Amino acid sequence: MVPISYYILLSAAIFSIGLFGVLTRRNALMFLISIELMLNAANLNFVAFSTLHGNLTGQVFSLFILALAAAEVAVGIGIILVLQRNFSGIDVTKAVTLRW
Amino acid sequence: MSDLVLLLPQLCILSAALLVLIYNTIFRKSTKLTILTLIAVVGSFCSIASAIFLFISQSPTVTIFGDQLVVDGSSLFFSVIISSVTLLVSIASYNYIKPLQNQAEYYSLLLLAAAGMGLMASANSLVIAFVAMELASLPSYALVTYLKNNEGSTESGLKYFLIGALSSAIFVYGSSLIYGATGSLGFTAISESILNTPSLSGLLGIGILMVIGGLAFKTTSVPFHFWAPDAYEGAISPVSAFISSASKAAGFILAFRILIEAFPLDVVSSIGLDWALAIQILAVLTMTLGNFAAALQENVKRMLAYSSIGHAGYVLIGLAALSGSQDTLVIGASMMHLMIYGFMNTGAFLFIALAEHWNVGPTFKDYRGLGSKAPLVSIAMTVFLFSLAGLPTGGGFLTKYVLFMAAVGAGFWWLAAIGAINSALSLYFYTRLVKSLWVDPPISDLNISSKGIPVGIYVAILIAAVVTILSLPFFSPFADFAMAAANILIS
Repeated sequence: MVPISYYILLSAAIFSIGLFGVLTRRNALMFLISIELMLNAANLNFVAFSTLHGNLTGQVFSLFILALAAAEVAVGIGIILVLQRNFSGIDVTKAVTLRW
Repeated sequence: MSDLVLLLPQLCILSAALLVLIYNTIFRKSTKLTILTLIAVVGSFCSIASAIFLFISQSPTVTIFGDQLVVDGSSLFFSVIISSVTLLVSIASYNYIKPLQNQAEYYSLLLLAAAGMGLMASANSLVIAFVAMELASLPSYALVTYLKNNEGSTESGLKYFLIGALSSAIFVYGSSLIYGATGSLGFTAISESILNTPSLSGLLGIGILMVIGGLAFKTTSVPFHFWAPDAYEGAISPVSAFISSASKAAGFILAFRILIEAFPLDVVSSIGLDWALAIQILAVLTMTLGNFAAALQENVKRMLAYSSIGHAGYVLIGLAALSGSQDTLVIGASMMHLMIYGFMNTGAFLFIALAEHWNVGPTFKDYRGLGSKAPLVSIAMTVFLFSLAGLPTGGGFLTKYVLFMAAVGAGFWWLAAIGAINSALSLYFYTRLVKSLWVDPPISDLNISSKGIPVGIYVAILIAAVVTILSLPFFSPFADFAMAAANILIS
């Protein structure tokens, strides 16, 4: 059996890649994809730990996360569509009319 | 069956949300705004009534659906706060969204978000906490972006969504680490297994920090507060009122429950993880940053947004002072403050909604002389502002007093001192708006009577004002309710 630490390292790496994408990408769609990476890193953890602990709680939660990620993307794509119409582009650094 | 009765406060709101959608589907062409408002008002009123009824009649703590949800004094207390805010916002929205499109969708999103917040108050495991947070967040993103042809609304919705999605990803990754360390996701099961198997405490510590980060987003605490000023400014004002009051209250009850039940301080400090220090730092940063930034604003709505960050900092004192000796009192004081804050802050944002309805501009200068043109609501706004600042025009004075005194009693005099200094500073920017309303000469070309009196917004502001004022002489029912709720949560 693969040691649990490998799974933790893999998921931490995926999570960090996602976080890096969130912090550096200017394209709103890339931002969404990065968020998906972060959520799936959590999924990976849940499934791996579920096997480790021998209960199904984690696997069930990962199903919930999959469904909620889809819902989040649906709302996100809607907002990005409106962004495209109002700012004629989906660069998140362009939308800066509100400033203090 | 009895399980469902216990969830009546949430089910009332949820069924109202679905009813609005069904009504709009059947009467596509002839949907009447009056009926939509009526459904929302009746739904949220039933929710308040059933929460109070359950609180009076129910045994202290009941867990339902296999320990996934808990119904106790604190969940019902926060259901009352959330539903009251929903009620006020539903009434006020009647006039505000009259000229706008997609009214049925607006009301159903509002009610769905409120149902999610109600569920957050009852969540008893990280799974339900996450699902409820998403149910509260996703409709809120859409509500903030409601004016889809308006640049400000789009931008604020985008920022709210981006930071919200990021923080929910952080929250869920944190839960996965906690699950890895403990093998369970229910709050009580987590605290038990921390005691039994203190291995993997490193994973657990990172997990707790990340979960706190996710909660900080919902409660607009530093470091996840950036979205709040933009989202509140760009959204339509009833939505700002809703998110800044109800969503914050829901975030706080979830934070209370997770930190007190899943990670009790005496348990986690035995394995070397002390989250109280993190919360103390966050509380100081949040209230100082919120109040200082509010003092620099020219835009009234942005000032209120930063002030709401400052108030999140005051409420955090309750959590930060938990390692002292007066746990029930500090948490009870935080709950009282959230309750009164729910009314005074909603009222203040609804006053902004009224000003927007009259085409008053966004800055302090544009509010000059509104007091002589609309005296009744301006008096109400003055009550809200002074009560937010902590002057005895409303319950805000007493809740702040109890909160700071409880912090002193628990041995955290420095937290109370920083809170008091921030309160004194906050008096500056609240008084500035009061001065604009009453002292400065009116703008001559502003004619508010031509637009008629928006009855809904007036009624909502006056209800909020009456509750805020009455909570000063009749403080003990509020205080008893909050203390009973806190007592159940702590024990």
